[in-house]
Amino acid sequence: MPHVKVLVFATLRERLGGAREIEIELPPGATVRDLKERIAQTYPVLAENMKSVLTTINREYAFDETVLPDGAELAMFPPVSGGAFHLQQP
Amino acid sequence: METDALPTLFAITEDELDLNALLEAITLPTTGAAAIFTGMVRGYTESGQAHQTLYLEYEAYRPMAEAKMKQVAEEIRARWPSIQGIAIVQRIGRLYPRTPTVLIACTAAHRNTGVFDAARYGIDRLKEIVPIWKKEVGPDGEEWVEGEYFPRPGE
Repeated sequence: MPHVKVLVFATLRERLGGAREIEIELPPGATVRDLKERIAQTYPVLAENMKSVLTTINREYAFDETVLPDGAELAMFPPVSGGAFHLQQP
Repeated sequence: METDALPTLFAITEDELDLNALLEAITLPTTGAAAIFTGMVRGYTESGQAHQTLYLEYEAYRPMAEAKMKQVAEEIRARWPSIQGIAIVQRIGRLYPRTPTVLIACTAAHRNTGVFDAARYGIDRLKEIVPIWKKEVGPDGEEWVEGEYFPRPGE
């Protein structure tokens, strides 16, 4: 897996000036953790986001140890905030 | 009744939510109760840090969001087998105060078979695992609203 594309959303997309995906070079057998580290190096503007980002592989949540399969659809985004109100405890 | 025959509707849309049409779509001849929750854009927040909201800008990872909505519907059916119809719809784009942005509706034969809890579970779960985000725009600036939930393996 020399070259992967990652879809980005919300804060990540905006920090990249509106780009909907980024491209990254990775060694074969790279994991989600490797991907985050590589993105933090390549796109310093996203380094802070990498600490709390969610990663998905083929539209399922993935975790740091997960190895990135060839040809998978990868995405990264902040914790979700759908609905219409803040989650606030009284 | 077979689950396959029960109406389950989920969508991300840029169009106005038609609450009556969505209810109609999940109503069976045997339906006697519906719990409809709709989240709306609040123009003024009075609790916590009081502030005004001019509008919200919603964004979704569409194919995954629809897949996760389907998963939420399946989770509802596993917990409340008496539920008949389920509708889960999120409107995206720029939405102004007083506008419904999300709808979760569940129908059942009777009101005491879990419809209220099922709809509540649906909205709570949507806010945990369905990839939708909103940016809040106010008179003094804008801010992405980020959730606090980190899905576990299998979610």
